[in-house]
Amino acid sequence: MVKTIELRVYGMTCDDCVLHVKTGLLGASGVKDAEVSLKDGTALVHADDTVKPETLLSLDVFRGKYKAQLRSVKNE
Amino acid sequence: MNEYDLAIIGWGAAGFAAAIKASELTNNEMKIALIGHGNLGGTCVNVGCVPSKYLIEASKVYKNLKNPLYAGISGDGSLNFQEFMESLRNFVSDERTIKYENVIKNFKNVDLINGSAYFKNNNTVYVNDTEIRATNFIIATGSRPLIPDIMGLNNNYYTSDNIWTIKDLPEKIAILGSGEVAIELAYAFSSFGSEVHIFNRSNRILKNFDDDITSELIKSLKENHINFHLGSKIFKINDSGSGETSIQTEDGIYKGFSHILVATGRIPNIDSLNLDKAGIMYKNGIIVDNHLKTTNDIVYAAGDCVDQPIKLETLAGKQGVTAVNNILGGNESINLHEVPWAVFCEPNVASIGYTEKELRDKNIKYRTRIIGLKNVVKANILKNNSGLAKIIADDENKILGIHVLAPNAAEFIIEGVYIIKNKLTYNDLINSMHIFPTVSESIKICGQSFIRDVSKMSCCMD
Ligand SMILES: Cc1cc2nc3c(=O)[nH]c(=O)nc-3n(C[C@H](O)[C@H](O)[C@H](O)COP(=O)(O)OP(=O)(O)OC[C@H]3O[C@@H](n4cnc5c(N)ncnc54)[C@H](O)[C@@H]3O)c2cc1C
Repeated sequence: MVKTIELRVYGMTCDDCVLHVKTGLLGASGVKDAEVSLKDGTALVHADDTVKPETLLSLDVFRGKYKAQLRSVKNE
Repeated sequence: MNEYDLAIIGWGAAGFAAAIKASELTNNEMKIALIGHGNLGGTCVNVGCVPSKYLIEASKVYKNLKNPLYAGISGDGSLNFQEFMESLRNFVSDERTIKYENVIKNFKNVDLINGSAYFKNNNTVYVNDTEIRATNFIIATGSRPLIPDIMGLNNNYYTSDNIWTIKDLPEKIAILGSGEVAIELAYAFSSFGSEVHIFNRSNRILKNFDDDITSELIKSLKENHINFHLGSKIFKINDSGSGETSIQTEDGIYKGFSHILVATGRIPNIDSLNLDKAGIMYKNGIIVDNHLKTTNDIVYAAGDCVDQPIKLETLAGKQGVTAVNNILGGNESINLHEVPWAVFCEPNVASIGYTEKELRDKNIKYRTRIIGLKNVVKANILKNNSGLAKIIADDENKILGIHVLAPNAAEFIIEGVYIIKNKLTYNDLINSMHIFPTVSESIKICGQSFIRDVSKMSCCMD
């Protein structure tokens, strides 16, 4: 099963940032896709059921300029 | 319905620290509701640490003017208590303005919401009938004085919430309780010249400290003319009608009190939060895990409202910050044995790490050394040498606890924090040069007492 994890993402100011965050998320094991929005400051992550949502918050990409907060988790 | 990324309930030390940290970490992008009532800043700045330390420091100055410590020096030592208390209230107000009201104006992402919050469900609170929904919550509602159930105790007493409004120096004050607040205020009023009586049900004071420290402290406080009635249960409080109150205990009736101060402990402000509606468990405060998360996954708690034995401004602030870090993916926890403690009477009591009692309870083997302050030249110069320093170490010489009764101990116990945090031994302590002459040498000399007889040591001996 796949689930959608919604993250609030802080610190993104340009399209480069969006790319950075997206690449960081896609690098995590179990993550299938990620839709990152600069306007809303969010990321919708589609991931295997085995992925623990909290682990996404401590990915390398969120240890510096960008920070993430867990908003919701839904089964697809 | 208003929606926020983070709603913080309580605008004291924990709530403020959390709001500022969350703003800093998110470039002020996080939309935060900071909900509270009463003066901004909560207990510490308004009715806690700040006014109490102002009162204590001023009382020491007055006492030393009245009773100069050094030959050949004398002073006038007159006191206008009303003027002094006015200055105390102005100081509190200035500190609140500078450290809280002005600071929060810099954070446009933080909405200050005046009112009392309570949970509607697991992700929504009501404040003044408005619903506030948030991605995460931090409960930081602090604590308030506990009022014991004693016959006749009603509207005829002060607590640390309102003692700061008094105009005249209490002539004769009864202080109920023997924790930090009771001891500090007893010390301050007795130094100003009030007749002070401490009443406590148990026969101990400062229950978190070992008896050797507290029995020495009681001696000092008695020299400061504080009268102790320990182990005495109060049955009844009687108002004479002429402004004087008497206290009836098992041992007899004590008459003629102009003021009663209740300082019998503090209870967490959690009763009106509707925690059950949000699935948040509580006992003697809100129950949290190591990461300060409550039993509701999106709700954290910090500060005096947490079910924990320590209530300090420093801990509240650190927990506010830790909760935010963890909401943003951190994995942080706070070791309560690395939290330093101080009571600001004179001499100060300051402490870090384990007490003997805690180690006995945990069946951990330890060794203890205690030195009297008469071994410390600076304490002799200050003419304040009735205290002691105590170190507890394990079999591998690692220091497990440092407890000091000494002038300025609150200022130098930080050395002990580094020692405990970095798991250092008494050899590391001995090998670190201290400034001569300072009272902080008491810690080093106590460390040396593990390896030699300090009475046969000159002050330059390393
Ligand atoms: C006399 C005294 C001296 C002290 N001296 C020291 C000292 O020297 N050093 C030290 O470290 N500590 C000291 N302390 C302890 C220190 O003051 C507290 O540990 C610290 O202030 C706790 O901070 P807090 O943020 O947890 O709570 P508080 O500062 O109490 O803040 C809680 C806030 O929550 C609000 N609130 C409560 N319920 C609700 C609700 N339902 N909705 C919205 N808001 C709510 C309150 O109005 C308040 O603003 C002292 C305390 C006292 C009483």
